[in-house]
Amino acid sequence: MSSPLVVSSGLSKQFGQRLVVDNVSFTISRGEVFGLLGPNGSGKSTILRMLVGCLRPSCGTAMVAGFDVISDGCTARARLGYAPEDLPIYASMRVEEFLSMMALLKGVSAKRLDCALEKVSTVLDLSDILRRRMAQLSRGFRQRVNIAQALLNDPPLLIFDEPTNGLDPRQIIDCRKLILKLARNHAVLITSHILSEVEKIADRAAFLSDGRLLGIETVRKNGVVIGDLESRFLELTDTT
Amino acid sequence: MNRFGVVYRKEMAAIFYSPIAYAVLSVFSLLMGYTFCAQLFHTRGTSLVPMLFQAALLLILTIPLLTMRQFSEERRSGTLELLLSTPVSNLTLVIGKYFASLTLVAILLCVMLVYPIALEIVAEPDWGPIISGYIGLFALSSALIASGLAISALTSNQMIAGVLSTGLFLTLWMAEVLGVILPSPLDHFAIGLSLDSRFTPFVTGAVYLSDFGWFLIITLLGILLCVGALVRR
Repeated sequence: MSSPLVVSSGLSKQFGQRLVVDNVSFTISRGEVFGLLGPNGSGKSTILRMLVGCLRPSCGTAMVAGFDVISDGCTARARLGYAPEDLPIYASMRVEEFLSMMALLKGVSAKRLDCALEKVSTVLDLSDILRRRMAQLSRGFRQRVNIAQALLNDPPLLIFDEPTNGLDPRQIIDCRKLILKLARNHAVLITSHILSEVEKIADRAAFLSDGRLLGIETVRKNGVVIGDLESRFLELTDTT
Repeated sequence: MNRFGVVYRKEMAAIFYSPIAYAVLSVFSLLMGYTFCAQLFHTRGTSLVPMLFQAALLLILTIPLLTMRQFSEERRSGTLELLLSTPVSNLTLVIGKYFASLTLVAILLCVMLVYPIALEIVAEPDWGPIISGYIGLFALSSALIASGLAISALTSNQMIAGVLSTGLFLTLWMAEVLGVILPSPLDHFAIGLSLDSRFTPFVTGAVYLSDFGWFLIITLLGILLCVGALVRR
């Protein structure tokens, strides 16, 4: 593991009187899959939104590849790829148009555009649907396009919000394989509310409850599973 | 293509994919054409002043239809989150949307050029007020679009954005009337705010820097407010 790509220090978010994320600190290194685990409403997606610059933290800082996500927002965002839980749809666009637009917005030059599109199409097997309108895509294909747009500029950090949500078993297995493949050269941050899902992919997992970080558990080291997430989760939730 | 170009092209595609653009273009042209014919054949007048005022009022009613969905719809559908996660600055995003809407209005005004040209064929119109009137319409549109975008950025409900924009624009248009009721110095303030009192000199052929500057300031304030509405989250 090299120097951390993500450093979150005391990250907090308050909406009115409600504290949604409370003093959350963690780091993620290159080559690591880090899972944020917690029930619905525990603040996982809010943490991701703060990391990608969609939400301003009420307190604390977050750095991506050494750049502050607020003061150096554009530079930080150029170094991450974000796939939200549900890919929002531009109904009028074809998949190819959408991916081209996202690539150009992410700073891929016009010269390298075709190459970038071909690369993600191959990795995610999208070649047959490139001419299809976004609104016509099935859930599985939408999720693949979602992941594809995050990979377009080959950023060092990939952030996937509930990447296997709504997929069928075959697609879940493929998605898992893809994330593990990507983790060889990227830092990957995933969220899930399913314990077994994180256990199968993550190297480390953070447990969240009501916006608070209960603990961080090492799940595997050098590919070997060493942690038992279920018992650790029960242990942590019993003590709180 | 730079990021501004990408946002601008995306917005242009979205505007012309939506039926609203065609509806606005059609209704606008139909109403303007009707007024022009009525004026030309019935009153035999060669002045475009009534038409320019009608165009200003139609812009007040139609620009909210163009701007209301720009940010509200993106926020509601979640596409705004996706855009904000890219290395595009908020200002680029706002400017891209602003120029796309302004382009549609410029197309509307270009379509409207057919009337002075037709008038030139059958009569001898005074081109000074016509040219300054068109400049006034463009400046007014710019201010309305920027304000409409700012309102759209504040809510995720496009209907609310549309209603608030129309309400604000009509209030500002009629603010001059308030000047009659209000005591001094509030009456001057109300008249100074009035879109009508700022637009009227353009139609009469008088382009004052103060009026032009007022529209420019409203445009810049609208754009800044819009950027602020994206940042404040």
